[in-house]
Amino acid sequence: MNRERPLVQTKWRASAARWLFRAALLLTLAVEARAAEDFLDAVEQALSFASSDGQLRARFSGTVELEAYTFPGPAPWLLQSDEGTLVAPRLTAFLDAQWGPHVYAFVQARADRGFDPTDGDGEARLDEYAVRVTPWLDSRLNVQLGKFATVVGSWAARHGSWTNAFITAPMAYESLTGMWDTEAIRFSTVLLQWSHVRPGLPAAVTAIEKSLRIPVIWGPSYAIGAAVSGELRRFQYAFEVKQGSLSSRPEAWDDMKGVWEHPTVSGRLGLRASEAWNFGVSASTGTYLRLLARPGIPAGRGLGDYRQTVLGHDISYAHRHLQVWAEVFVSRFEIPVVGHADMLSYYVEAKYKFTPQFFGALRWNQQLFDTIRERGRFREWGHEAWRIDAGPGYRFTAHTQLKFQYSVQRGDAPGRKLAHTGAGQFTLRF
Amino acid sequence: MNGGEYDWCEGSFGGVRRRRCLVALVSLLIALAPGASPTIAAGGDATIAGMVVLPKTRSAPVINKRYEIVAHGGVLSANPPVAVVYLEGVFPPATVPAVTQITQKELTFIPSLLPVRKGTKVEFPNLDHTYHNIFSFSPAKRFDLGRYRAEDRPVPAQTFDVPGLVTLRCDIHEHMRALILVLDTPHFVITDEEGRYRMERIPPGRYVLKSWLDSKTTKQSPVEVAAGATLNVDFR
Repeated sequence: MNRERPLVQTKWRASAARWLFRAALLLTLAVEARAAEDFLDAVEQALSFASSDGQLRARFSGTVELEAYTFPGPAPWLLQSDEGTLVAPRLTAFLDAQWGPHVYAFVQARADRGFDPTDGDGEARLDEYAVRVTPWLDSRLNVQLGKFATVVGSWAARHGSWTNAFITAPMAYESLTGMWDTEAIRFSTVLLQWSHVRPGLPAAVTAIEKSLRIPVIWGPSYAIGAAVSGELRRFQYAFEVKQGSLSSRPEAWDDMKGVWEHPTVSGRLGLRASEAWNFGVSASTGTYLRLLARPGIPAGRGLGDYRQTVLGHDISYAHRHLQVWAEVFVSRFEIPVVGHADMLSYYVEAKYKFTPQFFGALRWNQQLFDTIRERGRFREWGHEAWRIDAGPGYRFTAHTQLKFQYSVQRGDAPGRKLAHTGAGQFTLRF
Repeated sequence: MNGGEYDWCEGSFGGVRRRRCLVALVSLLIALAPGASPTIAAGGDATIAGMVVLPKTRSAPVINKRYEIVAHGGVLSANPPVAVVYLEGVFPPATVPAVTQITQKELTFIPSLLPVRKGTKVEFPNLDHTYHNIFSFSPAKRFDLGRYRAEDRPVPAQTFDVPGLVTLRCDIHEHMRALILVLDTPHFVITDEEGRYRMERIPPGRYVLKSWLDSKTTKQSPVEVAAGATLNVDFR
């Protein structure tokens, strides 16, 4: 141990120095962006276009984000890195276009180190593109086609870096369960190994398992599909048919192989009880296995037998400088022969603006797992997990924002120890 | 706004109540009272009129409806550019602080440009059936009213004490913008859409006449106003 201490200290010092450098960089960026406020206002105006009669109008906008994470143990949630730290720059470009009062289209393109930050190479993607037709101006009906965020729940509407009070998503949207989407489970013991309840997972599998596991809902779930939505008095409705389940990973969202063979159907009914209170109930059902899992499915069974069904409820409250959101999801993964793997995930989140520019946010997340039968006994198929997220944020200008997040989690880390994660995110929007 | 002068009693900037007219009348009576310090109303009878060449029409904003299930406000009316013409000089302070309003209706600020004298209280009534959250990060006035409904009383308001340009935004509806130009003068008008303006009841004297077009463009011209005269000044 004595020999190791200098090494550990050196490593810690190097890590601290890197973090100091990053904090200084973020601060410099913020100050510089403040000076560039007039320029950003001008850019914002310059990126709007209209036809001479004003019927066709378009606006380009976007964000430049710089995120940094530090984690003493394995990379948490959907992050992928072996270094203990991760820096993830991202450029997001939006196009919003309106053609008369009835047709609206939008595109979101990103260049970054992966949809979920990794230490790999950069890439560019079209994350969203959709056309929405509104036949009547009173919004009783909208029809939308394309690749877009799910209508389930309420978090997708505020997942952008500017609107999200935190840097990461609630647990339901990013905490990986023991379920895989690449292979069908034949025995309950396998599921218990995948979810780390029972030891015995081969080391070779442990090394790659993170890339195989799925959460309840994968982020905003930008799968290809069609949706109808509208508002009738205080009630809102939205239904969508998509080619990927809520838990499907980004690579599957626009994978056109076997498209519509096993569509996922989802919906949400909302009640705007007042300006302050909003309630919603959501439901979704669809196949969670990908096509490549087909060879391992037992005879007489098909992909359609491996369904993920999610029931959700969301509540939000807002008044003056306080905003509160809560969502609860019950998810069932159907596993033929083995049974149902049920779980519950919920969070309560609050954000408060202390001054016009300074805000703070706090979130409690928890995931609970039901039991499955294994060798004559019932065992929970996952470790109960909880996480507390806390963080301040500061808007330097209407175009620049700096957020920090500290998270402590108890999940399925080795020894069930607490896992700590720190993160910082600078956003410049134009 | 025909004629280019801001009519306080008619509320040409939109949504201004009769109360403001009352305030103006009270100010006038106080100003005319014996021993009262001279004010705008006690000023002269000169007039400055003219034309400001306006920039080309700006396009109306496109509303970001990506994650809105319900799409309100498909097309916004274009906001034609106008200019604010004002007179800089030494003027007595206002005896009664003015009160005016910027309303939020159909997810739009009305008016979208409001010149006010330093010390004016601006109320922000919400006339929509949804929350608004007005804020400003401008150095001349930094505030955040939080989320409030149409029924909330008192109507949220701010007093603008520092001259300068204040950009209003809504934290919920990112396309909403309005400008408050806080001026250290009682003499200002908004041009009409053709750029015409007419500023009346100017006391005789030497001033600097300015024409504000946007945050980057303010033109100016020194003027000398004689009692009872009408001066023509164009900004090209």
